[in-house]
Amino acid sequence: MLAQVLVSSATAGAVYALIALGFVLIHKGTGVVHFGYGDQVMFGAYMVLIAQFLLGVSFWPASIAAIAFSGLMGAAIYGALMWPLRNASLLARIIASLALGTVLREFVRAYMGPNAWPFPFLLSQTAVSVAGVLVVPANLAIVAVSLGVLALLFFLFEKTIYGKAIIAACDNQIGASIIGVRVSTVFLAIWILASVLATIAGILVAPLLTLSPDMGLIGIKGFTAAILGGFNSLSGAVVGGITLGILEALAGTYISSALKDMISYSILIIVILVRPQGLLGVLTMRKV
Amino acid sequence: MIPRVAFWVVGIASFIIAPQLLAEYHLFQICLIASTALVVLGLVVVTGIAGQISLAQSAFVGLGGYGSAILATRWGVPLWAGIPLSSFAVAMSGLFLGQLTLRISGHYLALATMAFTAIVQLALIHSDPVTGGAAGMPVPVFRMFGVTLTTGRHLYYVILPSTALLFLLVRNVMKSRFGRAVTAIRQSETAAEAMGLDVLRYKAIAFAASGFLGAVGGGFLGSLSTYLDPAQFGITQSVYFLAVAVVGGLSSPFGAILGSAIFIFIPDLLQSFQTYLGLVFALLLLGFIVLRPKGLTSVRLPRYDFASLRPRGQQ
Repeated sequence: MLAQVLVSSATAGAVYALIALGFVLIHKGTGVVHFGYGDQVMFGAYMVLIAQFLLGVSFWPASIAAIAFSGLMGAAIYGALMWPLRNASLLARIIASLALGTVLREFVRAYMGPNAWPFPFLLSQTAVSVAGVLVVPANLAIVAVSLGVLALLFFLFEKTIYGKAIIAACDNQIGASIIGVRVSTVFLAIWILASVLATIAGILVAPLLTLSPDMGLIGIKGFTAAILGGFNSLSGAVVGGITLGILEALAGTYISSALKDMISYSILIIVILVRPQGLLGVLTMRKV
Repeated sequence: MIPRVAFWVVGIASFIIAPQLLAEYHLFQICLIASTALVVLGLVVVTGIAGQISLAQSAFVGLGGYGSAILATRWGVPLWAGIPLSSFAVAMSGLFLGQLTLRISGHYLALATMAFTAIVQLALIHSDPVTGGAAGMPVPVFRMFGVTLTTGRHLYYVILPSTALLFLLVRNVMKSRFGRAVTAIRQSETAAEAMGLDVLRYKAIAFAASGFLGAVGGGFLGSLSTYLDPAQFGITQSVYFLAVAVVGGLSSPFGAILGSAIFIFIPDLLQSFQTYLGLVFALLLLGFIVLRPKGLTSVRLPRYDFASLRPRGQQ
């Protein structure tokens, strides 16, 4: 029983982890917390459907078109929103990212209707029994992709010179440009990468959740996962996501399924209050 | 002196004349604007003036609406007493939320208040016996001095004076020591602290005030709509109130009225394009925050220098 709960919760955890990775990537790379990221994930899945309608192609080409288009969208977000607001107050940037999410959500609601759409699974949904525990291949794919993305980003940030440039650009824009880092190019690349990641996450996650305009609210779970793991730590995002998935599943099984979401939001508040740097994060002191 | 007297005379006169001239529908809309403006005024105080971002406003609205409705149905407390009572209780929860600002600000505060709203909404949905659960609950009729107030025409006489009173109160408090203190905190918390201000206390009071104003507005909105649906008190709605505040002018109480009027009138203008309503609101918010982050109240009409027939300030 407990083993089954843990295995099943790993899927939910991987979903949270995947979204949390996007948050951490943007925050680590550009210093912005993107409040509309959950909506971008939702929009990614919808783009596949829209591509299917508009281009009349099947699922796979549509997915590729959606991923390509999301790269353009990432560039547009940076060029039209984040670049003009680079010197704006934190408050304005928070509101802008909230507004972006709302625009995407309301566009989908107006264009595709408020009701849920069916979305195909990439892999088989039939459960396979492994040592007495039921495992679903479609869910395993999400776990695998989360870990794959983590590995990729980890490699990018820790092992390449680009990663160092990204960290430098985010840490001190003037300093980085003096030593020859093109800060605007770095930020542009981060936004493109994060938007592509959002669409991949959307395609993977949409069949599990219900694909409706409000699917983007899953973003708050991604936040919780990112906060739990430490907002600046890539591996923290995955650890936080899986931990949140397991905590939720345990709360749902042993306490009350109605209280499940409330418990995870309470975790968000408690972690922010007690350990704002998260499980794996490092506390940075703000200087006056 | 004379402009001020004129302002009061015109204000009171139009308050008395409006119900004679306007149809029920328009009076209802005026009430709606006034109640929304109260909610947004709360946001102006905490976010615009004190600089603490809050996504908890719709939770305060929901708690105010539900609180007064529950007091009325369960304990027979009339709404005219129930709305202020529950608003004081909500102000206490605002005070608690304000304590969070001791340790966090910026992104983290936005996230924490977001989580607070989500928790309140889930609590409203899951406390079926008291709140009617996901289906919501009806709001009892507003009775005062033996008179039953059901229509916008009736509620007008309660909502408008209360709104005006609270706006005056906020305006005066913002000009007092308290107002200067929270403005200082927005500009630099460190500097304000160095000047000897009890920063946490002021921020917590600003949150309590936003809770109080949101709850009063919520009580009025509940009476106007006569039904409470928990779906209306989520994070999305908090962003809606933020949009109203931004479009009007985040740091100006007058902006709250201006923004509310725009957001209440737009659905009328769009007529057959109601599907695009949400998108229009969202684009307004996005456009304003990028192009004119200080909102409509920051727009200065060019003043003509009649001597040289040029806009002033141009050579």
